[in-house]
Amino acid sequence: MSQTRELMQSQDKYRIALLSAYALALHGFESLLPTPIPWLRLGLANIITLTTLILYGIRAALMVTLIRVVLASLFTGTFLGPAFILSLGGGVISTLSMGIVLSLMPRLFGPVGLSLIGALFHNSAQLFLAYILFIQRIEAILLITPVIIFLGTLTGSVNGIVSDMLIKNLKKTDEKIQN
Amino acid sequence: MNLKGLLNSTTIADRILLFILILLSLSGIFFIKEVLPKGQIVRIEINGHPVYLLPIEKDRIVSVNGSEGNTIVEIKNHKVRITESPCDNKLCIQQGWIEKGSIVCLPNRVVVIIGTPEDESNKRVDAITG
Repeated sequence: MSQTRELMQSQDKYRIALLSAYALALHGFESLLPTPIPWLRLGLANIITLTTLILYGIRAALMVTLIRVVLASLFTGTFLGPAFILSLGGGVISTLSMGIVLSLMPRLFGPVGLSLIGALFHNSAQLFLAYILFIQRIEAILLITPVIIFLGTLTGSVNGIVSDMLIKNLKKTDEKIQN
Repeated sequence: MNLKGLLNSTTIADRILLFILILLSLSGIFFIKEVLPKGQIVRIEINGHPVYLLPIEKDRIVSVNGSEGNTIVEIKNHKVRITESPCDNKLCIQQGWIEKGSIVCLPNRVVVIIGTPEDESNKRVDAITG
């Protein structure tokens, strides 16, 4: 019994490490892409967070997010800087919001809806943090909020669709292995 | 993946949420400017030093003492003009009412600028996200 449990745990660790590596790779790839607006981010790493959440639960998703944010900031040299605080706050809040919605109403939202919720909370958390820590001008924040929420909705739905495809494919492969 | 497959993989709640978010954010983009107070400020400078910072909402007439004499600035109905000036060419008076931008009276070294409070506060970079 304890042996199978250990096996499960080591398998979980392996999964979390692998998924964190994927998320980190997407995060790094995304920062290389030129974007038309400097603060527009696609949030590609959220594809992995969402997939982890749906397949392996909220704890694994939180771990993946934390590992991704900390390692990415270490690699880019922004660890404990303002960008790190924004990134950490947004990542944790969005993962928690998606996890809570999924555990409270498991059948209500699909990956696309969850991704939209994640994007909304990610952006709201970042705007709030930016307001209390850096900008402190409520008009400037209010002016930019709808634009950011709108862009987040667009990128969020695309990420949700990709995540949905990823989950379906992973399940298919799992079934093949089991058969 | 075709459009039908995509529709099948989303729940009704997904679609409602997407619709609400797009509706709210788009209407927010268009209407937030109307809701926010304009908060514009009339700044009067003499020789580059600000002497008056006045809200544009309040009608009033102020007299400032430039290098040649008194310039009288009038604020009314969210507009600003110079009514009297000791200069020779009176270009500042000819400019009339302005709603934005600035009036410069070079001989008397008086500058009237309509700006936002943000112009007054810091102009440094706030934050860079990553």
